[in-house]
Parts: sequence; C-alpha cells; structure tokens
Amino acid sequence: MGVIFLAIAFLADSGSMGDIIAVFKNKKYVGEMVGMGYAFGIIGVVIGAWHMWGSHKEGDMDYYLSSIAGAMFILLVAMLVRWYLAPIVAVWSKSMGPVMGNKPLHKVLGLNYVVLGILAGLIIVNVFKIPHWAENGVRLSRLGLKSGVILLGTLYSLAELQSLGKLSVIMVGFFVLGSVGMVLWLGRRRNIPNSMGGVLSAGMGVCGVSATVGAAPVVQAKAVEIAYTIGTILLWGVGMMFLFPVVGHILDLGYIQFGAWAGTGILNSAQVAGAALAYQPDGIETLKVAEIFNITRVLFLPIIVLWLALWYVKHEGEIDGQKVNVGKVIIGKFPLFVLGFILMFALSSTGVFAPAQHYKGKYFDSSNVKAKKMMNDKQIATLTAEAPKVQRADRQAALASLIENRKILTVEQWGVIRGLHNAKVLSKGANKIIKKATKAVRHTAKRIKKFRQWITLLFAFGLTGLGMQITISAMKQAGGQPAVIGGIVGATKAIASLIVIVMFVRETI
Amino acid sequence: MTDKDSQNIDLQEEAGAKFHRGSALSLFKSDRAEDMLALLFALLIALGVYVLIK
Repeated sequence: MGVIFLAIAFLADSGSMGDIIAVFKNKKYVGEMVGMGYAFGIIGVVIGAWHMWGSHKEGDMDYYLSSIAGAMFILLVAMLVRWYLAPIVAVWSKSMGPVMGNKPLHKVLGLNYVVLGILAGLIIVNVFKIPHWAENGVRLSRLGLKSGVILLGTLYSLAELQSLGKLSVIMVGFFVLGSVGMVLWLGRRRNIPNSMGGVLSAGMGVCGVSATVGAAPVVQAKAVEIAYTIGTILLWGVGMMFLFPVVGHILDLGYIQFGAWAGTGILNSAQVAGAALAYQPDGIETLKVAEIFNITRVLFLPIIVLWLALWYVKHEGEIDGQKVNVGKVIIGKFPLFVLGFILMFALSSTGVFAPAQHYKGKYFDSSNVKAKKMMNDKQIATLTAEAPKVQRADRQAALASLIENRKILTVEQWGVIRGLHNAKVLSKGANKIIKKATKAVRHTAKRIKKFRQWITLLFAFGLTGLGMQITISAMKQAGGQPAVIGGIVGATKAIASLIVIVMFVRETI
Repeated sequence: MTDKDSQNIDLQEEAGAKFHRGSALSLFKSDRAEDMLALLFALLIALGVYVLIK
C-alpha cells in the first residue's frame, strides 16, 4: 500500500502523469496525490515492514496498532476512487451528453467519489475478500466518521447554529417522535412482541444501531430482535443513502433543503453523512446542515428511552422482577461524540480558530485590508460618477463612506453594499468594483480551511470503510413484520419530511 | 465468489446469540471507548491546527 502511494506521489510530482491527467481530467487532485501520496506512502512502508515481522494478539497494544495497515488499505481505495475512478466516470458521463434537464448522468445519479467509494467498499466485502490484515482497519472507519463529526463543530457560527437549531428541533422533534409512535402503534396492530416494537421504534426514530443497542435493555429485547432491527435499518438506510441524492438532484433541492431532508429522513449517522457528501461532494455546506439535524436527533435519545421505558412498563409490567435503571441506560449509552461536537463548537465560538463571527469560514475585518485591494483613483471616479443613481438613504451613506475611505468600514455597511450589488442599480463596471470592495474586507480563516480538509479526508476514509461493512449477511437479518413496519414508517417519514421541506424551508438562514 | 469470512466481518455476540452489527462495526470493546478515542483524536487534530496554522 505504502509503495503504491509513493509511486503515485513520485509520478505526479515528476510530471510523468501528463497523459493520464489529460485523459482523466483530474489535474485538481495533483497536489493531493503528491502531498498525501508521500505522507501516507512513508507511513505505509514503515507500518507495513513492522506488520510483516511483528506479532498481533487481540487485546494487546500491538493488536490496536495493526489497524493502521487496514486504515491504509481503506485510504488507498478511497483515494484511487477520488483521484481516478470518479474523474473518469465524469468524463464518460459528460461524453454521453445531458440526460435529464441540463445534467449529465453522473450528476443525476450522484456518481461522485463518495458514492463510488461506498460502492467500491460494498463490492470488495461482498464479491472479493477483505484481506485478513486489513479487517481491523475496516473496524476503524466509524472512528474516522465520529472524529469528522466532532471536528465539524469548529465550522459553525453561532448565527448558523441558532437558525438551523430552531428548524432542526422542530423538524426532528416532530418526525422522530412521530416515527417512534407510528412503529409502536403499527407493532401492536400487527402483533409483534412489545420488545421487538420497542427496539425497532428506537432504531427507526432516533439514530440507527446505537439507539437500537441503547434501547434494548429498556424493552428487554432479545439479541435476535436487535438483529432484525439492525437488518431493517441497514437495508433501508443503504437504499436511501443512494436514492436521496438522486431525488435531490431531480427536484433541484438547495443545500439547506437537502441537508435538512437527509438529516431528518435517513436513520444512521454514517448514512446521513454519506448522502449529504454524495449530494455535494466538492463542499461541506450540505453536510453541515445534515449533521445539525442528525445531532439534534441523537439529542432526542434520552426522551425516547424514557418514553419506551414508560410504554414498556405499561404494556408488559416488570418481567421477572427485573427493574431496568433507565437513568443508567441513558448515561451509559448516550453517544459521547455528540458532546464532543458541542464542545468543539463552544471552543470555536471563543474565537481560538477564527474570529467568532465567521460565517462559512470567512470573516469581516476592515482593519486588515491589503493596499492593492483598496480602491484606486479610477475606481473611485467610476463610483462617484454613478452615485446619483442610488436612491435609498442607507445605500447612499454606505457608498459615500466607501468612496471616502476606499474600503468598507463596518459590517453593517458591508451588508448594505452587498444589497446594492444584488439590486443591480449601478452599471456592470461599477457593480464589479463594489463586489471587489465587499471581498476585500472578507478574509478566509486559514485554520477553518485546514479543518475542512481534515473533515473531507476523515469522511472519505470513513465512508469507504462503511461500504466495506455492508455485508449481504447483515442485510439478510431483516425480514418479516419488522421489515414491513420499518419500510412503512421509513417511507412515510422520508416523503412527509420532503413535502414539509419543499414547502417551508428556504435556502436562507 | 463471496468469501464466508468476509461476510462474518461484523458478527457480534450478545446474550449468547450472534448477530451482524451491520455498518456499526467497531474495533473497540464499547461504543463509549470509541467515542472517547474519537474525541481525543479530534482534539489532537484541533491542537495541531491551532499550533501549526497561523
């Protein structure tokens, strides 16, 4: 693995890949191929040599470290897909021309590096065999996803969180509680055991496998019922992970709309991330919205566990005199990574990574504008000549200040000047000048940019590994009434939440 | 064709019964341990970014 990474890095660095890059049209990844290729190549060669001659017994530190070789395996698959497979699929797709609206096939089907990475993992585990030495690495992929979610906390601003938070609590609250109630009601109508209904409602309502395992002791679910639930939510989740982006592209949903829909309608954290990144592979705005909804859903876990405990005692009483300590279950099973996300957001809000008022990694700072970005005499003359066209008093004042100071001074003025630009009151040339002025006082937070790169890497790794965990055997666990109930509730939630989002959620926060 | 071992990668035993854990496979003994390590890893990355990127 390490040698392959090194070879890719060397060939990309030396310019020997010119012909391949011309065919694959993947020039934008050359920097990644060199940087990541050398870094992972060296780590891979060192770990590989140690792995060949070391011994690895379960429970030893040695055993945990052996997962690095498997992690390298996942990374290599993920990067080969990102650097070569996804670009060539895009080239083929574009050569066929548009198939729906103006979009080529790969855009409609969402065949980007995220989806192809998951598919590659799925094929590897179900058609070929994951090498024995790489199995521990596959078990590490959820760690990558959780770390990515925690780091996502650094990217939110207070304004975003306040606005999305309100929307997510209303949406998720309604649909989580609704789907739990619907599973319990359908379960009793279709005569499945209360323990089965209870554990399935937690899985379908809250957050997949973690909630299922968390709710199991409260409703005294048997292992086979846990298996049924996991099979049902996995089968449903995998299907939705691929279907949601396709529907989103057909309906041309915005990033906020799609993120809200995926975060509400898909059950499992990893699958939510997969669908969001599949919808917007070259940015993480959709992922940010989806994860807020996902995390809000996980925050409902204590309420659901309490509800299930009361519901179960009402319908079954205490079996064999065993009393389940609900508080202990909640504390023991509550996913800590959600608190990690909140901690990282709190840390970021103090301004350690970027000015606290940053929005999408950019922030306003008028005191730090480079001389070459200040407006020159010619630009001032153009704006002065066009100033009489402006009618509104606030716009007149902001424009006068801009002309006088050669830059925007306050964030309020920045908003007004942006409004003036959007209103297209001035000529094309003058509009260009004021757009430049708004950009001059907006700065990229370098640390936030680095966090975005880390998050993309962690999710690419985690999602390819996720594909390697989706075995046919696991999905076969679903069956009978649980699958029927799961299908009805899942479809109802997905369709109802889509209708609500299309009707009420706009692309502004 | 499909290798049996490959399909058993996610087998979990609880209360004496075996079931597939699906896409929630973990190297760690408990979800809590995995969460702790994810938190530690994320904090290390954050510290690295804070120190190295100016």
